[in-house]
Amino acid sequence: MDGLTNLIVKVGRSVGGVVGTLYQAGRDTVDTVIRNVIPFMAFISFIIGLILTTGIGDWIAKALKGSASSLGGLLLISIVCAIPILSPLLGPGAVIAQIVGTLLGVEIGKGNIPAQYSLPALFAINPQVGCDFIPVGLALGEAEPETVEIGVPAVLFSRLITGPLSVVIAYFASFGLYTASK
Amino acid sequence: MTVSGLVALAAGVTVDKPTGFLGALATAAEDFIKVFNKGGSVLLSLMGGILPTLIVLLTAVNALVRLIGAEKIENLGKAAARPGLQWYPVRYIVLPFVSVFMLTNPMAYTMGRFLPERLKPAFYDSAVSFVHPILGIFPHANPGELFVYVGIATGIQQLGYGLGDLAVRYLLVGLVVIFIRGIVTEAITAKMMSRAEKAA
Repeated sequence: MDGLTNLIVKVGRSVGGVVGTLYQAGRDTVDTVIRNVIPFMAFISFIIGLILTTGIGDWIAKALKGSASSLGGLLLISIVCAIPILSPLLGPGAVIAQIVGTLLGVEIGKGNIPAQYSLPALFAINPQVGCDFIPVGLALGEAEPETVEIGVPAVLFSRLITGPLSVVIAYFASFGLYTASK
Repeated sequence: MTVSGLVALAAGVTVDKPTGFLGALATAAEDFIKVFNKGGSVLLSLMGGILPTLIVLLTAVNALVRLIGAEKIENLGKAAARPGLQWYPVRYIVLPFVSVFMLTNPMAYTMGRFLPERLKPAFYDSAVSFVHPILGIFPHANPGELFVYVGIATGIQQLGYGLGDLAVRYLLVGLVVIFIRGIVTEAITAKMMSRAEKAA
């Protein structure tokens, strides 16, 4: 009889644990969505509304069309974003990358930029990722202050090389992406 | 006269376009509200389109991560610290992927604590560069910065193409890029450290 009781307690406990975990996961998710995702959606929606209804869109389209629909233009964007002084300024919250990404998305949707360029563009707008966060990120990894002192410029300089390189890799990886079959 | 007759009569009447000062004000007001009407419809399509899937997906993956337990990946961190060429892919591909997936941004960078000092900047560079390429398939890793990917993906969706191809390629190219980034940053860090030692 004892064995049976133990079994029931054990089953009950583990089922309760799983359900509790799932419930907690749901709570965390809704929390993140309300606090991080929806506010950004509201902000982005306003920007898209502004672009689509006013003349700003045409102006941006002209500026982006030239630079974002050629490998050279994308490389230029990535080099500018990777300049060691600019990259920490462009980094915070990835806000710049998110806005530029949305602008490019609008132009891709309108057909002004070929869909194939979506992949290299994702890398061109983002060589500054995390450049604002290097000291904190290293501290999270329990790095010594001397490591931080060297690590910050090391990462920033590395981006100057790897930023444009990532665009080139993505460009070659984008062959056959959303191109019409003949 | 029947009701339907009245309606037909009313439909035939058109109002003149407002002119003059008040007319200009009215046009301006309409243009003003048009911006927000458009924005509102974009917001609704985002909330109706992405959000429900995102919430369910986030819940499932969050639960999975909790059930597995984040502490399970510590052994991987220790393995990645080993010297030798064969551990490079572990350090700059497997470890960043697993830490970003399990611990998400920004806690993923805490895995750097298992590595020697000279490798920490390279691991950070590698891990932080992966918080966006993973978004196409696993948005739970960095939901606050979703629009780096979703912004461009929305354009692709408007053209009527599937997103799977872009998401997979973004992830795979991302893995190649973080591997290269880790190696380059490790080399630069090594050079700068030896220079600092000489100066000291």
